[in-house]
Amino acid sequence: MKGILSALWVESLKVRRSRIFPITILGFTFMSIFMGLLIFIAKNPELVSRLGLLGTKANFFGEQTDWPAYFNLLMQITGMIGLIGFGFVTSWIFGREYSDRTIKDILALPVSRHVIVLSKLIVTVVWCLLLTLILFAVGLAAGWMIHIPGWSGELALQSFYNVIVISVLTILLCPIVAFFASYGRGYLPPVGFVIVTLITGQFINALGLGQFFPWMIPSLYGGAEGQHLEIISYVILCFTSIAGVIGTLAWWRFADQN
Amino acid sequence: MESIIRTDHLTKYYGKVHALNDASISIKRGEIYGFLGLNGAGKSTTILLLLGIIHPTAGASFLYGKKVSAGNNSLWKNVGYLLERQYSYPELTVSENLEIIRRLRNISDKKSIDATIARLKLNPYKEVRAKNLSLGNVQRLGLAKALLHNPDILILDEPVNGLDPAGIVEIRELLKDLASTHGVTIFISSHILGEISRLATRIGIIHQGRLIQEIDTNELENLCRKRLVLDTDNKKAARLKLLENGYSVSVSREGLLEVEGADAIRHPENIANILVYAGLPPKLLKVEEENLESYFLRAIGVIGGDVK
Repeated sequence: MKGILSALWVESLKVRRSRIFPITILGFTFMSIFMGLLIFIAKNPELVSRLGLLGTKANFFGEQTDWPAYFNLLMQITGMIGLIGFGFVTSWIFGREYSDRTIKDILALPVSRHVIVLSKLIVTVVWCLLLTLILFAVGLAAGWMIHIPGWSGELALQSFYNVIVISVLTILLCPIVAFFASYGRGYLPPVGFVIVTLITGQFINALGLGQFFPWMIPSLYGGAEGQHLEIISYVILCFTSIAGVIGTLAWWRFADQN
Repeated sequence: MESIIRTDHLTKYYGKVHALNDASISIKRGEIYGFLGLNGAGKSTTILLLLGIIHPTAGASFLYGKKVSAGNNSLWKNVGYLLERQYSYPELTVSENLEIIRRLRNISDKKSIDATIARLKLNPYKEVRAKNLSLGNVQRLGLAKALLHNPDILILDEPVNGLDPAGIVEIRELLKDLASTHGVTIFISSHILGEISRLATRIGIIHQGRLIQEIDTNELENLCRKRLVLDTDNKKAARLKLLENGYSVSVSREGLLEVEGADAIRHPENIANILVYAGLPPKLLKVEEENLESYFLRAIGVIGGDVK
């Protein structure tokens, strides 16, 4: 128990002192503000005609510029930005040990390598959940500031629940990114992997098979394509996650780390 | 006496590359084992195998008689190590980098960090981020991480890399003290031969992945060639004169005469007499002992001769 607590403290120190931590917070904050800005423009059609591309995007809201539409947008954004943002967070937590060449410093220690990997995964989860909370909280604040109509406490609570579920579903995909960061020994391979899954996901979803592709499942839960998820989707997602955890643990334990 | 560090036919292949071939080493408590080899000879591979960071293709290594494996974490409790290129978390300070090791090594004494910082003379850099340290201080931080828990075994790959001459002497004395006073067993790899000859109690020479020789530093003097080097105005005539007198004489790369043989080494005055009476007085007459560098090059076959 002491081993995992020590490893968690160590991993959290690395995150707290990193430059990437405030950058991700700023990034997610900006995304929420940007969503608020879009709906603000959509609420004021006279601005749409004056604002070129941004206006066109904001026009997607059409007539619906109320809280339900705004919460729906926040859920979609959580799925999409989560996939990229959480993938980046995982890539950094695992890949930095290789890129900074500090990996060998933490391999021959009295603490088990499994404990180090698990503590990294736990810190990844906490970091990603924090980003989700920031996304939602700043989104709410932005919505209040621009006086979006149709507020409902019940709707807000339900939307918060949905955002957290989408976030958790996306976080379940992090271990496989951790595996690619370890296998690829750095940041680039896992980031490349995330980009490939995003592109592939669009094709697979176009074929109507998105509910079977792990990297599309969180977005589908958010209702991006209006599809409903069956139990098999959750099973596939959990299987992918478990495979990622086992793969990462096995890689740290059995692969040559030179 | 029981071996503290032992490798048994340790072998590592990377595809067709034989990084280490059938190396068997045995190191006893308090020994400083110097591991000598050219770049790419297999020194770092041996160290990574000893630390369980890579897995052997064949053979095994043992610490305290227990087999090294990535899953045997308890082995590392009393082992400190430093790898060839030392890296620390760049955004963390010296004390934070050490705090990480303290926590992961479960060292309860919080003062161990300050004590180790003082021991490695890192006090002025305690709150400096690792990325802003000089190469020498990065190396000192690496040594601090290795020494933080007062280990019984130290495995060090090129520990004096980047240190200035004063730092090299300081670390050498520190390591000698750890071995002689505290019985720490030290495995140290280096390509700096002078450093190894001053520090190690035993030397292993590795070449192209093979451990080709092990020698006690005490024996080194007997193993290293000695020769009488001399110079005269007429080297050709002097050489003939000495050959007539039964000496084995050759001409060095520098153009000086070299006389080998125990009699020449023990009684250079006889050679001086012969040359003086022949009207060929020597301008230079000195006994030169082969240094470790020359011995090493001879051992790995880069220069001629047999070390056996």
